[in-house]
Amino acid sequence: MAVKAVEDLKERLAGIVGETSVNDDRNDLLQYARPDGDGHLPTCVVRPVNPEQVTALVVLANETGLNLVPVSSGPPHARGGTAPESGAVMVDLSAMDRIVRMDRRNKVAIVEPGVTFGRLASEASKVGLKALMPLLPRQRKSVLASYLEREPIIIPKYHWDATDPLLCMEVVFGTGDMFRTGSAAGPGSLEQQWEHGEAQKNPMGPGQTDFGRLVQGAQGTMGIVTWGSVKLEVMPSEHRIYFVNDSLERLIEFAYPVLRRKMADEFLILDGTAFATTMRGGAAEIGDLAGRIPGYVLVLGISGYEYFPGERVTYLVNDMADLAKEAGVALTRSAAGVDHLEAERALSGPSGEPYYKHRMKGGSRDLFFLTTLDRVPAFTAAMESLAQEHGHPVGEIGTYIQPIQHGRTVHLEFDIYFDPGSAKDAARAGGLFSAAAKACQEMGGFFSRPYGPWADMAFEACPDTVDALLKVKRVLDPRGVMNRNKLCFKEA
Amino acid sequence: MKPEELQKLPPEVYKELEEVVGPENISEEPALLDGYAWQPTFNSSPDLWVPRCAAAVLPGSTEEVQAVVRICNKHNILYKAHSTGWGTFNAVKAGGIVLDMRRMNRIVEIDEKNMYAVVEPYVSGISLQAELLSRGLNCHMIGAGCGASLLASATSGVGDGWDGISMSYSPRNVLGVEWVLPDGELLQMGSLGSHGTWFSGDGPGPSLRGAMRGWCGAFGGLGVFTRVAVKIFNWPANGDHRSEGLMFDYLPPLPENLKVFMVVFRDRGSFAEGMYKIGEAEIGYIQCRNALGMILGGALPRFQRKLPGVPAMVEMLKSMQFCLTHIIAANSPRELAYQEKALRAIALDSEAFVLDMGQLPLGGLLFWGLVKDSLPPLIFRIGGQFSSVFGHDETWDSSILLNRVGQEIKQKWIDRDGMIDDLADNAWMFLQEDGMWTHCEELILYDPREEKHVRSVNNAIAEAMISAVEHCQGPGFMLLNPMVRRMLSPMMSHYNFWTKKLKKEFDPLGLSDDVAYCSEEDVEEADIDLENMTFDIPPEELARIFEERISVIPAPREMAQ
Amino acid sequence: MALTDYVRDMRGCSRCSSCKWVPFNQVKSWRNAMNCPAITRFNFHAYSGSGKMNMGLSHLQGRSELTEGAADIIYHCQLCGACEVSCKVYRDDIDLTDVLLELRATCVEEGQLMVEHMAMLDFLKRDDNPLGEPKSTRGDWTEGLGLKDINREPADVMFHAGCRFSYDPDLREIVRGTARLLQSSGAVVGVAGGEESCCGGRVYELGYRGEAANYAEDMLSRVKASGATTLVTGCSDCYAHFKYAYPRIGKELPVEVLHVTEYLDRAITEGRLRLRDSVPMKVTYHDPCHLGRMSEPFICDWEGDKLLRPMSLKRTGKGGIYDPPRRVLSSIPGVRLEEMERIREYSWCCGAGGGVLECDPEFAAWTAGERLQEAISTGAEAMVTACPWCERLFKDAAGESGLDLPVYDITQIVLRSTGTR
Repeated sequence: MAVKAVEDLKERLAGIVGETSVNDDRNDLLQYARPDGDGHLPTCVVRPVNPEQVTALVVLANETGLNLVPVSSGPPHARGGTAPESGAVMVDLSAMDRIVRMDRRNKVAIVEPGVTFGRLASEASKVGLKALMPLLPRQRKSVLASYLEREPIIIPKYHWDATDPLLCMEVVFGTGDMFRTGSAAGPGSLEQQWEHGEAQKNPMGPGQTDFGRLVQGAQGTMGIVTWGSVKLEVMPSEHRIYFVNDSLERLIEFAYPVLRRKMADEFLILDGTAFATTMRGGAAEIGDLAGRIPGYVLVLGISGYEYFPGERVTYLVNDMADLAKEAGVALTRSAAGVDHLEAERALSGPSGEPYYKHRMKGGSRDLFFLTTLDRVPAFTAAMESLAQEHGHPVGEIGTYIQPIQHGRTVHLEFDIYFDPGSAKDAARAGGLFSAAAKACQEMGGFFSRPYGPWADMAFEACPDTVDALLKVKRVLDPRGVMNRNKLCFKEA
Repeated sequence: MKPEELQKLPPEVYKELEEVVGPENISEEPALLDGYAWQPTFNSSPDLWVPRCAAAVLPGSTEEVQAVVRICNKHNILYKAHSTGWGTFNAVKAGGIVLDMRRMNRIVEIDEKNMYAVVEPYVSGISLQAELLSRGLNCHMIGAGCGASLLASATSGVGDGWDGISMSYSPRNVLGVEWVLPDGELLQMGSLGSHGTWFSGDGPGPSLRGAMRGWCGAFGGLGVFTRVAVKIFNWPANGDHRSEGLMFDYLPPLPENLKVFMVVFRDRGSFAEGMYKIGEAEIGYIQCRNALGMILGGALPRFQRKLPGVPAMVEMLKSMQFCLTHIIAANSPRELAYQEKALRAIALDSEAFVLDMGQLPLGGLLFWGLVKDSLPPLIFRIGGQFSSVFGHDETWDSSILLNRVGQEIKQKWIDRDGMIDDLADNAWMFLQEDGMWTHCEELILYDPREEKHVRSVNNAIAEAMISAVEHCQGPGFMLLNPMVRRMLSPMMSHYNFWTKKLKKEFDPLGLSDDVAYCSEEDVEEADIDLENMTFDIPPEELARIFEERISVIPAPREMAQ
Repeated sequence: MALTDYVRDMRGCSRCSSCKWVPFNQVKSWRNAMNCPAITRFNFHAYSGSGKMNMGLSHLQGRSELTEGAADIIYHCQLCGACEVSCKVYRDDIDLTDVLLELRATCVEEGQLMVEHMAMLDFLKRDDNPLGEPKSTRGDWTEGLGLKDINREPADVMFHAGCRFSYDPDLREIVRGTARLLQSSGAVVGVAGGEESCCGGRVYELGYRGEAANYAEDMLSRVKASGATTLVTGCSDCYAHFKYAYPRIGKELPVEVLHVTEYLDRAITEGRLRLRDSVPMKVTYHDPCHLGRMSEPFICDWEGDKLLRPMSLKRTGKGGIYDPPRRVLSSIPGVRLEEMERIREYSWCCGAGGGVLECDPEFAAWTAGERLQEAISTGAEAMVTACPWCERLFKDAAGESGLDLPVYDITQIVLRSTGTR
């Protein structure tokens, strides 16, 4: 973009958000680009502080054809969902970071995009609630961004539907029109609704369209969310972590009845490498721990609530022990020297620094998709075989299996660790990453959140879905101003 | 010619349709078509008919559905599909054709491990459940009863049921979907479209489930759904049971590790406290507020008719109107003991008393009636028909507020002999998803053969709608009415503006009949005629209420232009 | 009564579709969840109980004509009563079967007649049976049995064979065996022989009220003249009409009317009939509609709001004959009963009733085939029933469709156990 044009643009943007909230310093812009150096830098970044400013930005984009890329979390932005196109303006929402409401009785909070998991968890705990978290989110990970991307949470019993734990939203569509989804839509303002006992808990609608679902999973291509209500759950009065360390097949056999009966709170399966990266800080410790873990580790939490918490925990432990016996596995309080208390600490908040996926080698290429639990062994076997083909040590791939929707589906993730300082290592990881993505897609892995290069692969498999999504896009962002060229919304 | 002006199909169109479905599966016999025009439920017209369609077809496969829809598009003919077909919203406008999906009644797949079943439109709750219980599984059953289509409530209707506490709400139980779009093209949503697997309905990217439906569905206004994967759930008992009897002669035993209780709360306040605690304790399998007046009416309508003349009896029943029927389902005796202990402790803390219904002969009937969802049609026994207002899904606190207002409105019309006295506050309420949210409907019982009843019900519905607005609650089922949509959309983020735009994209010719979806036209059969009603809200008060609730969200710019 | 007397019933239909399903608490599988052959086979709502009520109301309100097409739908119904049983689980104020009967009477009044039924009527007029067989051979089955001629000799029990048993050569041994069983129980059994005529049930069901009344009158006078105190029949169709249609048209028979299964049940219980020989067989029992739900006796009509009528006047199907045949089977050494999923008042029809066998034999055979499949799925070696119309149709349908399941009348099994030859 010509210098004059950039200056004109900045002036118009400053007219909306104020001069200090428009920035085109190259060093600042770099943090919005892909960490691998691929792709482009945005023209500038704007930091709105309220929905009115967001609306004005989108209206401006409609007038001028600007490409707006909303982003809420801090760097690194590894997946590419918010990677800017040339000429894009980043709309950094991190300054909108209010927790608008915390409602203990109805177990719900309203948060703005800049609210991180650490803050939400901390505020929720003050009233006896807990935030529903993905596995060790980054310190600056936005709660709303995570939920909007349908990242899995680690407590599948609270994951009733794909939208959870996100409930209602205020969103500025790509047309520049503001909208509220679910029961927040009205009648009445938020304050009036609160007066009448409502708490923005119904995520559906309003009416006969589920607008929230059209915004969720869209990587910012449909509009910009300015706040959302999110489900919280009761902080258990008693909580215990258990481990089951065994072969994947046996763990799966044990997992099915436990999931069906919604017995556990936290419930995730990690291979030795992933387990070590989540529980240990340094590369050497990780290597040591991973080497001592045969097979996979199921980490599960058992809770007791207000009424007779100890008795609840006791019956669950006993019932689960019976199921473990049937499956030929054992429930333990430690795994390869990792104590339940360590795991409790590790899982209760965001990742410490360095980010857990970077602890082993400094970098990670994350490959993830949806499948079902019984199909997981075929994918892990394929991944192992591909790693060998590419000369990537199998022990440097972390495998994370996260049941969602009560266990009907699993998020299966392979984190391919590499040394970002080594071009060779990075290239090898990149090669494996691409080959494995293709192989998993061909095996039926469902790339429901197709970032960056996966998008073409995922959407080629479902042309009818693309046609339908384009219809939605024409309604909510007819001029294509939102996060251009992402998903299936490619410019002609 | 507008499509709705076409009262009889041109012979060449009939022939084209006949070639698709076969002569046995199409008809334009007026007497037969009136079978589709008789819709007394939620019908505000005293004659209880809805417009008669020009023809009815019975497609037997997805391909046939596509072919029929394409013919409609080719010849500019309105159409609407229905499954089990109960309620006025199944009607297509005069001149349109009905796709009766009855022939598509197969259970395509039951994935026991991954807990979903794939069903065609005419698979009812009871027929899937009958296959599931012996496998240790169960499915969500809706308030319309176990004879209702699972697919319809998942894709197109509403979908609340008293197992909501453990089995959620139909639209939230949807995985893969096969959808014949309004233009006849096929859309397979989620993992189905990518890989032919049913386990996920969302993605890639934004979830088209959002376009398919919202809190409620398009009621046939957005094409035809031919297969859907619905979630299935844990059934901790050992299979089904076999006992003689059909309803009140039906006294089966309760299975091991499952129990049914009645928890009677003192008032709305203690009821609310108790319900919040039950949700947080995660101890419910099926539950529902069932006032004794309603139970009495379903079991002994003769007696119920006589009771209003006995004030002491009425007062006694009303003293027990905050009554929760609650089933706990445990996977072990240990769990059963825990759940029962927790429930009793919560009741004690909430000043409620608990009856173990399993100790009474009625217990088995109540238990299995709730599990099998066989009780709902009993509501017709009382006067022939019911109506429902609100259909509210939010917090318990807001529901109970609405419930109080609803009861007041209803009582006024009962006192004027405008509907049947149900002897108590009979809101249908329960927790969803372990208390994540709450469902509340106010049920109205009446005899549709009595014109004054129909008029009173219409009045009560209008008042309830206004009262919902006043209390910041959505219109619930009332939004199926075009006029309500027109009035309330501006108070609800102008949602219908956006829905209509989506409809236009998916159905450019507008042939998938949208009278119960997003149309805002005046349609006689579904209208609430506020001007000619006798409800008690003065016009200036009405204007004030509406003005106060006009959305803080500005009108879409395109609307304003 | 006329169709106009049922406007309130028809207007009361909530279109809940319960009439299409087995009463919900008794649904045991997807495969056997339906109760009504007509809607299950033809699918349009009009074929259901509810749909036919809608048609009736539509006609009365002048919305639609009673065309040939409409009549065709009305007569594509076995009048098996399953829809009414399911409806009555929830409703006290709708008498669905009566509406279906009145619809047919209306068809007759308005001249919408089925050609096949006209032929049957001609047979009846000519030879007093719907099968086209000569009246002169009606009593041939009694030859050599030593039965009393009820027209001339006194008897305790008057045995009414019915048209099917009287003429069907394949069923002849059954009716003869039945008579021998009655005799073995010590009863003095009389028959009308060649003087016996049709009970009139079929014409009643088809809507020919005048003809039905004539046959009932004829039967009534024969019964009166016989002096018998008990009337026994092995035909469930006849039995249902004696119990329901006759009193409803004012021709109640002044004797105790028993189906043969009731009679045998009593005889076994009282020790008058001894079952000695083992009949090692796993069987399933088909409840004939006319012995079951359709045989509930008529008591009286109710004026006014049916919601307020005594429960004893509400036909629910529960008052049919279900336990006597089961008790008889359980009395037979060696017999093991495996129940089907649809039994008793929610049994699936054989397909023969309501004039369907005559006007659409293919539909009748399809209905029977559905039942045979259900019977086979129990693992039973044979199906036992207690109605000649069911037996005839099941045998034919099994033969045509290659379903290998023997079908027996219950008296055949009893006979084997008594050792009577």
